[in-house]
Amino acid sequence: MKRWLPGLLVLTLAALVAVPIGAAAQGKDTLTVALPSHAPTLDPHMHFERVGILVNINMFDSLLHRTAKLEFEPSLALSWKALNDTTWEFKLRKGVKFHDGSTMTAEDVKFSFDRVLEPGKEQKKSPQYGNVRAIKEVKIVNADTIHLITDKPFPLLLERVVFFPIVPKKHIEKVGEEAFGSTAAIGTGPWKLVEWKRDQHIRLEAFDGHWRGKPAFKYVVFRAIPEVATAVAELKTGGVDIIRNVNADLMPDIKNHPQTGISTTPILRVHYISLDMRSAPFDKKAARQAANYAIDKQAMIQKMMAGLGRQVATVVQPAAFGHDSSVPPYPYDPKKAKELLAQAGYPNGVDITLHSSSVDWRPHFEALGQMLTEVGLRTTVKMWDPGPAWNKFFQAEGKATNGQYGNWGNYSVFDADAVLHPLYHTEPGGWIGKHYARVEGLDKLIDEARSSVDQPKRKQIYARIQSMIREEAPSVFLYTQNDTLGISKKVAYEARPDEWLWLFAAKPKN
Amino acid sequence: MSAFLIRRLLRFVVVCIGVSIVTFSILHASGDPVALIMPEAPEADRAKLREALGLSDPLPTQFVRFVTNAARGEFGKSFFYREPAFGLVIERMPTTLALTCLAVTLALAVALPVGIYSAVRRNTVTDHAATVVVFLGQSMPVFWIGIMLMLLFAVQWRLLPVSGWDSWSSVVLPSVTLGAFTTPLFMRIIRSSMLEVINLDYVRTARAKGLSEWLVICRHALRNAALPIVTVIGLQFGLLLGGAVLTETVFAVPGVGRLLVRAIVQLDFPIVQAGVFLLAIIIVSVNFLVDVLYVYLNPTIRLR
Repeated sequence: MKRWLPGLLVLTLAALVAVPIGAAAQGKDTLTVALPSHAPTLDPHMHFERVGILVNINMFDSLLHRTAKLEFEPSLALSWKALNDTTWEFKLRKGVKFHDGSTMTAEDVKFSFDRVLEPGKEQKKSPQYGNVRAIKEVKIVNADTIHLITDKPFPLLLERVVFFPIVPKKHIEKVGEEAFGSTAAIGTGPWKLVEWKRDQHIRLEAFDGHWRGKPAFKYVVFRAIPEVATAVAELKTGGVDIIRNVNADLMPDIKNHPQTGISTTPILRVHYISLDMRSAPFDKKAARQAANYAIDKQAMIQKMMAGLGRQVATVVQPAAFGHDSSVPPYPYDPKKAKELLAQAGYPNGVDITLHSSSVDWRPHFEALGQMLTEVGLRTTVKMWDPGPAWNKFFQAEGKATNGQYGNWGNYSVFDADAVLHPLYHTEPGGWIGKHYARVEGLDKLIDEARSSVDQPKRKQIYARIQSMIREEAPSVFLYTQNDTLGISKKVAYEARPDEWLWLFAAKPKN
Repeated sequence: MSAFLIRRLLRFVVVCIGVSIVTFSILHASGDPVALIMPEAPEADRAKLREALGLSDPLPTQFVRFVTNAARGEFGKSFFYREPAFGLVIERMPTTLALTCLAVTLALAVALPVGIYSAVRRNTVTDHAATVVVFLGQSMPVFWIGIMLMLLFAVQWRLLPVSGWDSWSSVVLPSVTLGAFTTPLFMRIIRSSMLEVINLDYVRTARAKGLSEWLVICRHALRNAALPIVTVIGLQFGLLLGGAVLTETVFAVPGVGRLLVRAIVQLDFPIVQAGVFLLAIIIVSVNFLVDVLYVYLNPTIRLR
């Protein structure tokens, strides 16, 4: 026993040394947000992580800002207009300060775009390159005017610069990219970086020189909490003030707790089942329509999503530019579904296999499979981890898989193109559409709408597309979902349709 | 002794090679990491990234590159963090080791007295109660224990913080959780190995000499009973590191386990490889230490 004691002591001492001391103060002037993880870097251009964007937007400004009502609002650009089909002019706000006290200039704006576009380079290091690839040149006209010149008409340009943070050229050239992404991230936003402890917290402090003025909370902390149950427990005990992505099953608990409440809003994410139009049975239009009639969307929304969702007529959803409300959703009609299936040549039903890698939505996927089975589309549902799914299923060109259940977030771009092009355009570069969708004439219409900046004309084209895809049914069109935040009763904040956490809008409540 | 050391060292090397082969092949068989790094990006961009990461080379080439680098402690840059994977793992290792060591200490602090007591007072109510606790303890998964403790101590009674790793109070719950996960097994082993020696002649002799019961148990009986206990601690260490993965996730502790889980989900090969490699080395080293300790505790082995 005595001989063990030193060993035990050494173990304990080793443990003591490795544990940091000093509790995190949780004052009234601090707003704490739980995120499942942190992005790999604080550099707003060098990642593509939702959790990173949520932190970045509170430290950096972009040329434009989007209000909670989804309208564009001046931010670093005071005004903007299209000079012609390919040139956009932005007038910059004067006297905007970076966190180090230096003044933002047109040089910084050009530098920010160029570090993502890397003109002349074959390999682009920023994962956000694809978002702004249409920009051919960034031209400084004078001290407070810049032109963004695109290679062809690019109607989504304004959407793309809503999250395109402007970073300080001189500072980055001095400290280097690595330090900028970890310890020396500097922007023009409401809060500046104090400390980032990876996998623990990112601590921000209000920046006195911010052009909007002072935010209501002096400190903002983003804690990394991977487990949902833990985040909920933290919310109830006041360890955090805001948690994201609250599922339907947790809602009553958070709603009924004396210290917490929820805020929910429809977001730009649409659920669908892509049908493989190249092989039986979904090479037949009647079979595809049958699948659409087979789903009781209202029941799914009520029973599985706590009523927080909205059925859609196509994948273009109400919040997006180009949505045509005169196109009605498929009603739930199992009898009609069976008739159509018989018409397609399957009076006794047919066996199909559907795949999905949306792990979080497994119960929904299974329920959908059951509804299809009831009308004779006897469905086997196969769930994949996202990695294996890619090889075994998504990339299996030519292999009949019948369909895929998934959801699409439109990159938070409120435009029909952001869903139609990736899902249905057959040009390489699409998501699933490349393999599955074969709707004649659709490519041409999508291209046509994309290459114009004449909004009324685009709207007309999108209306045509929506009638067309509703009829052709390349997918089973399901519903949109809500994003639900759990919020402490001490904080006033509303969930936004773009899933952003714009904490400048958060206020303490008494 | 040196032959013994050399044999152990050889085993150490073989295990390391085995581990790297297994991690390398399993990960590459399970999917395309590029699809996860840029899930919604065009195929052309993906191909470029694949090229840049060396993932388009033939598998044997990739493996040779992997082994040569691993020998130098280089596992390449993490796909996700774009930093050397080895450094990322090392950075988080002290936290995981601290958690594991605290858990072992706590588990021993409980299991030793209780285990000894139930061996000495065999078939009493206390002994039976301890057995029931062992059964319960072993049938509860570690994440469940964690969430239950959290609900009671942090949410219901507000005695401790829910999660984190930034103050002493926040260390308590994860350590207790992981300790609770391993205490029952320790208790059982201590009880049974004590039972084995407690009726042996030399113990009776010690009693006959008129030594106090306390001295008999602690100095004479326990020293001989300690051998299997030491072995089990060594073996448990690997299991504990595994348990640390879940504990770290539940309590948001910034350790290796959490890093690894995320890396596995994201197919971040370099981190998984560096992590598994390092953990394997730690486990093999602990077992090596246990072997040495065994020799020290049991002189009869030295004679052979």
